[in-house]
Amino acid sequence: MSRLLFYSLVTVLGILSMGFQLLASRLLNPHFGSSLIVWSWLISTFLAAFSLGSIIGGWISDAPARPRRRAQLTVAALAIGSLAFTAFFGRLALDRIELAFTELTPGLLVSCLGLFFLPVTMLSSFGPQCVQHLAAQGTPPGQASGLVYGVSTLGNIAGVMLTAFVLIPHFPVSTLLYGWLGVAVGCLGCLLVMLRPPADPATP
Amino acid sequence: MKRGGFPLVMFALAVASAAAAPGDYVESYDTPYNNLTVQKTGSVVELRARSRAAEYLESAVDLDDPLRLVVPYTRTLFAAAFLQPKPQRVLMIGLGGAGFNRVFTHAFPAALLQSVELDPKVFELCQSRLGFKPTSQTPVATMDGRLYVKRSKQTWDWLILDAFRAGFVPPHLKTQEFYRECAAKLGERGVFVTNLHTSTELYASDLKTIQSVFPQVVLFQTTGRGNVIVCAVKYRAPSVTDPAAWPAGDPLNAALAACIDLKALASEKTALPADETRSARVLTDDFAPVEFLDAMKVNNTNPR
Repeated sequence: MSRLLFYSLVTVLGILSMGFQLLASRLLNPHFGSSLIVWSWLISTFLAAFSLGSIIGGWISDAPARPRRRAQLTVAALAIGSLAFTAFFGRLALDRIELAFTELTPGLLVSCLGLFFLPVTMLSSFGPQCVQHLAAQGTPPGQASGLVYGVSTLGNIAGVMLTAFVLIPHFPVSTLLYGWLGVAVGCLGCLLVMLRPPADPATP
Repeated sequence: MKRGGFPLVMFALAVASAAAAPGDYVESYDTPYNNLTVQKTGSVVELRARSRAAEYLESAVDLDDPLRLVVPYTRTLFAAAFLQPKPQRVLMIGLGGAGFNRVFTHAFPAALLQSVELDPKVFELCQSRLGFKPTSQTPVATMDGRLYVKRSKQTWDWLILDAFRAGFVPPHLKTQEFYRECAAKLGERGVFVTNLHTSTELYASDLKTIQSVFPQVVLFQTTGRGNVIVCAVKYRAPSVTDPAAWPAGDPLNAALAACIDLKALASEKTALPADETRSARVLTDDFAPVEFLDAMKVNNTNPR
């Protein structure tokens, strides 16, 4: 049962990340259009966030119990806080950024970094921690890595399809962003419980 | 970049090569925004966009008679003259083959016609294949239409939205917020003009969204086609919906009347489909499922 919950959470992480990319495009379009330039910056931002998030997650996974716990709580708080900022103040921020930058590229760069990079980085940092969790339970590391990233990628696909064909046609983007925030709070809350590191052995 | 391999085009090439007149050609280009086909048959050059195994006519020009409007709905765009007969500054979002531009500059030689086109290749082909030569009176900017409207400091007498990508209009050019931005950039007696397709669910939402911004809306149905040209103004009075109040015929503009049968154009005025729009949803930046409402069954011409 706990294994099923674990994989469900990994799937939801994947859904949150890639579905968020489509919501991000809808946020950007009124301000910067829907050209190839917009999509290039958006995709690059998400890939950079996946990359940095994986590195951070790997570092957290190897940390001793107390700093690992502190880091887990910090990245979860940053993920929720930055998602909340995008959900509540995203459009307002884009209005300001659009006025502040007459050139398309700097405006896009600031928008993507300011609104999307941090939440996706923080969400991605839980991937390596999930691998560590499986490995600590006896799954061989290579197999654990394959399972987590395989399931997460299925979640990515589900996130894109669900968002594009079900959610965006039926709900306002603002409502979906609040939904994303709610699901992220639930998912990260469960992961924080599940990924709680065992106490360090007492030092002699 | 010139590329081949598209089955329809290859088939067309094979057929055309058997019976083509000297100088005829079919070329295809893949750009970051479009998959384009340019076909010259006799003196007519067509610019088509390929999408979903079909081709949609974006624009066409008769090189021997540039004032002949080959694509029927382009003629209907001039219905704006009934509402604002003396445009001095016109913004056209979507260049295509610039068929409209040639007639406009003929009819209003002193006016400025600023075009905005997203795809640089369309602009290039428009010049190299469709014979368009931009001047200081007909400049072209290559950028997103909404960005241009937002950043434009000027006001316009006609603001024409005719931006399609293979029969599809990007969602951010369909929303209430964008129409408000357009209304804000219209002169006091300015006219907003847009080209809609009638055969999809998007049509009702389009109309309802436009009506939510512009108090007076007049529709013109291009005869025999699925295009409806919307002319909308941001003032409530005087009324522009009664054709009796429109200037007509040669007094309106002799040069324009020489190119277009203005009486026939006025007769294309059609009623607002109140029943359809009643239940439609207004499209906003926050909710614009344009792709899903637009079944794209009919375009400027029949799909090839």
